[in-house]
Amino acid sequence: MNNTWGDMAQYDPVTWNWIIAVYLFMAGLSAGSILIGIGLRWYSKDKSVESAILKAAAIISPVAISLGLACLVFDLTKPFHFWLILINYNLSSVMSIGVLALLAYSPIGIAYSLIVLRDELPKWKLGFLVPLAHALQPFRKAIEVVLFVLAIGVGAYTGFLISAMNAYPMLNTAVLPALFLVSGLSAGAAANAIGALVMFNTSSHDATLGKMHGLELPVMLSEMMFLFMLFCALYFKGGAAAAALASLTIGVWASVFWIGVVGIGFAIPLLSMLMPAQTRHTKGVMIAVACCSLTGVLALRHFVLYAGQSYIS
Amino acid sequence: MSKRYVMVHDENRCIGCQACSVACRSENGTPESVSRLQVRVEGPFGDAPHLHFKYNRVSCQQCENAPCVTVCPTGAAYVGDDGLVSIKADKCVGCMYCVAACPYKVRFMNPETKAADKCNFCKDTRLARGELPACVTVCPTDALIFGDANDPQSDVAKLINTKATYQEKTHLGTQPRVYRIPTKRGGIQS
Ligand code: SF4
Ligand code: SF4
Ligand code: SF4
Repeated sequence: MNNTWGDMAQYDPVTWNWIIAVYLFMAGLSAGSILIGIGLRWYSKDKSVESAILKAAAIISPVAISLGLACLVFDLTKPFHFWLILINYNLSSVMSIGVLALLAYSPIGIAYSLIVLRDELPKWKLGFLVPLAHALQPFRKAIEVVLFVLAIGVGAYTGFLISAMNAYPMLNTAVLPALFLVSGLSAGAAANAIGALVMFNTSSHDATLGKMHGLELPVMLSEMMFLFMLFCALYFKGGAAAAALASLTIGVWASVFWIGVVGIGFAIPLLSMLMPAQTRHTKGVMIAVACCSLTGVLALRHFVLYAGQSYIS
Repeated sequence: MSKRYVMVHDENRCIGCQACSVACRSENGTPESVSRLQVRVEGPFGDAPHLHFKYNRVSCQQCENAPCVTVCPTGAAYVGDDGLVSIKADKCVGCMYCVAACPYKVRFMNPETKAADKCNFCKDTRLARGELPACVTVCPTDALIFGDANDPQSDVAKLINTKATYQEKTHLGTQPRVYRIPTKRGGIQS
């Protein structure tokens, strides 16, 4: 301390750190994974068998949201008072609306997973849940539709949460929820592929897996488009917003963006599409590419959160 | 709301002595590592021999349209009957949404209570007793003027009606209630 007015540590504009970035990633992953699982089921003709992709989503989605919520709770300065947030609501707060959405999303997601995994449960010594799964079975259609809608909400909510702060020009933009929703879809697709290949030993030529692959390119292109829109919006807004573009050229977050988001997250998966079909469809390559997509999305959350908070209007 | 408490910081009169911050700390028992109030001496600006400093009061601006209140999920950050933005520490879970949302970066987590904290114009202590905030009382140059701007006879009302003042970051629509009188080069005229 070498000034007359005191310690400056509390004035650091970066309030939310990597734990929140991981939470935003996990919530997006959970929503994206189940959206893809359900979407592909609606799209497929044979609805009597549960595809490996849907089974993977049924595991990944609840696990991811639980891990994410654990991050969130333990990042509170009063983690053991988290129930306060469940009994007090302020509907002008995006966080409160998110809590309500998550309160419905999490149990409905678990109920849906039980239905999808009913034949797997005994293998995991969870056979006692089978009667519950069968009891839920008649409501499958309704649960599926409600869960799908809630998942869109949860995926976009992670973007709304940080875009609601007008102090930060890079966060306070309308494209952020859309960007987070589509990047959640790409994380969800990647995680589903890994889950299906590793846990359910799907053949890498599986039809549903192939269909999901077909989604990857359009999802990635829209992700790039939203990123481009975000930067354009900052550029044309001028002032503090335009200054935030410096995060693309200087400092550690520039490296995270160019290496993590663009290099690992976009370039590797795109280039892998140029590989000969035989190589491209081997299990190893598919898993490696999926891991790259996941890394890219995690890097994107970190970049947006940190670079976004570093520039204040 | 019948009252509109505002504070005016006359940057002409301020000498950056920090007496206000010390008084604030002792009145509110603020822990060592954090502050509700700082007066930052910025500069020097201009060319020698006409150098000048800026005395920047950094504390809660008591926004009329307060982002910290809008984002708080539990309602721990609230606007009281007197219009002042305050915090119910026992309702706060420590999500830090308000700390992130405050455009003036004056909210902090109190390391002792684990709740969000900031200046509230000494609402529970000195204002409740009909006294002026600690910083206002202690300022040796009378650089701080405080009162109800809705009362046309009050010193603050007369001051903001007659002097050129500015507020920080008005473009964000927060409507801060801390007014500043900018430094006029060449000494005080009043
Ligand atoms: S006590 Fe008065 S003169 Fe001293 S720093 Fe505070 S406002 Fe300025
Ligand atoms: S200055 Fe910050 S803490 Fe104070 S009322 Fe405004 S937003 Fe809230
Ligand atoms: S830290 Fe406390 S006061 Fe601030 S938004 Fe969260 S619950 Fe509200």
